[in-house]
Amino acid sequence: MNGTGNFLNRMDIGNRDLAMQEVANHKGDFLDLLRHANHPLKIDLPSGTTQQGTDVEIAHSTTVVAVRYRDGVIIAGDRRATAGTAVIYDRAEKVLQIDRHSVLAISGSPAIAYEIARILEHSFQYFRRSQLQELSLQGKLRMLSRLIRDNLAMALQGIGGVIPIFALYDLDADDDENGGKIFFYDALGAHFENVNFATTGSGSIWIRGVLRYLSRFGETALHEMDKQQAAITLLRLLDIASEYDAATSGYNAKGQIFPTVKTVTRTGVNTVSDDDLTAWYAEAQPNAEE
Amino acid sequence: MRDEPYRWIEAIQDRQDYIEDQLRPGSPVVGITYNEGMMLLTVSKGQRKIFEVHDRIALSAIGHPADIERLRMLVTDTASVQGFQNATEDINLHRLTNYTLAPAFKQAFESIVGEAYIIKMLLAELGSTSEKNQFTGINFDGIVRANSSFAVIGGTGAIETGMQNYLTAAQTDADRDLTTALQLGLETWAVGKELSAREPEETESEDTQLNTTQMDEIIDTAREEGEIEVGVLEASQQGASKFRLLTAQEIEAALK
Repeated sequence: MNGTGNFLNRMDIGNRDLAMQEVANHKGDFLDLLRHANHPLKIDLPSGTTQQGTDVEIAHSTTVVAVRYRDGVIIAGDRRATAGTAVIYDRAEKVLQIDRHSVLAISGSPAIAYEIARILEHSFQYFRRSQLQELSLQGKLRMLSRLIRDNLAMALQGIGGVIPIFALYDLDADDDENGGKIFFYDALGAHFENVNFATTGSGSIWIRGVLRYLSRFGETALHEMDKQQAAITLLRLLDIASEYDAATSGYNAKGQIFPTVKTVTRTGVNTVSDDDLTAWYAEAQPNAEE
Repeated sequence: MRDEPYRWIEAIQDRQDYIEDQLRPGSPVVGITYNEGMMLLTVSKGQRKIFEVHDRIALSAIGHPADIERLRMLVTDTASVQGFQNATEDINLHRLTNYTLAPAFKQAFESIVGEAYIIKMLLAELGSTSEKNQFTGINFDGIVRANSSFAVIGGTGAIETGMQNYLTAAQTDADRDLTTALQLGLETWAVGKELSAREPEETESEDTQLNTTQMDEIIDTAREEGEIEVGVLEASQQGASKFRLLTAQEIEAALK
């Protein structure tokens, strides 16, 4: 039996039973494929460890923010990772590309969030490769719901909650229509579409009102901004969040550490370069010396 | 039957003849490299024939659609699980073909009481540098052949030889662009198609040189009856997945 080098899983799906020459049909479901390959993902907590009926606060120290702009969605996240009051890392990536037209911005437990992003990425790819078509927008949203809901036990423990923003571009949108879409999730996996903007993480409370103000009364409406205007707006918002929230980092001029900024448009996901961010930061903070 | 070697060999020979007869009319597949990656090209009728296996691996095959589907899923599932358990970098074509596919092909071929796979498969792997690009062909009996610059599959060995000769003669510019590669691929396909249309005994003996008019005729007929299918693994593609199918417009534009 060929275990393809995995000592823990000597039963390889490839050669499980060559005599039968049969490949199970997983109908594009990656989690089903993993179960079949003796690699279930379920996180089992010891019994009795789940809190019940108590108020649960989900740690989500970060700020991520997404705005629907002229060409799609622009999404930014700070780079700080904290443990309690300690800053443990200042180059964390919290805006993760999932496929060519979707991005997940995470707040919450990094270990679970990164794993959810990884499962999501592999699930979309597996569906496309096995079923020969892209998973639909609704299919993608439900897949993420399922992963967040499956993680409920960890969320209730207060150690593994994840509250993401999921931004994608709907390729079925008409050419003259903006197909950028932003979805916000709660800890139980329910998803809601935010038409103009979404923000999550501990710093989000400081900027939600500003976003609302900009969206409603701003000189240029958020959805009419071009990429540069929208990026500068996001940089300013993260700057405000970092001013009031200790778990959100600002721009580190000395270390040249910028927030992560990505755009999701009809042509795909693009990361805004450090050169652009350097130039735009100069515009974003005219009173930086003060 | 294995106690009687002669009968076993005879049965294997019959099986080989049967499979080659079935494969002969199959639309050949051409794999060539170009300056930005690798290309698999064929002309299909209704059924898609070029597939994405993993981030840097693509597959095409000729044969029975049910066998192609079954073995395509075998290799896709294996790569997907392994890519998740470890990392994408830990998947490589050599292991997929030699440890997963080839044993399955060989076992089916030699279990003469069971059903055989009517299939020939061609896989392409985009390397981290162009020198590491690799094409791997697997015959229905499990024999694996690897080549770094080009590879073909056709119904019989003679068809493949004719196509390979054409490609070898045309290998003037390894740094060709996508358009040139597409044209060269299509010409090679036409050579294979012409050879597969001939009687078996003619394939071996006759000259395989086609003039431009003959070639254009074959290509025009093929385009009327089917559609050109081209899958590429592009090093410049943003993100981990490097595979994409060219659109009909891109193919049209390249052939103008």
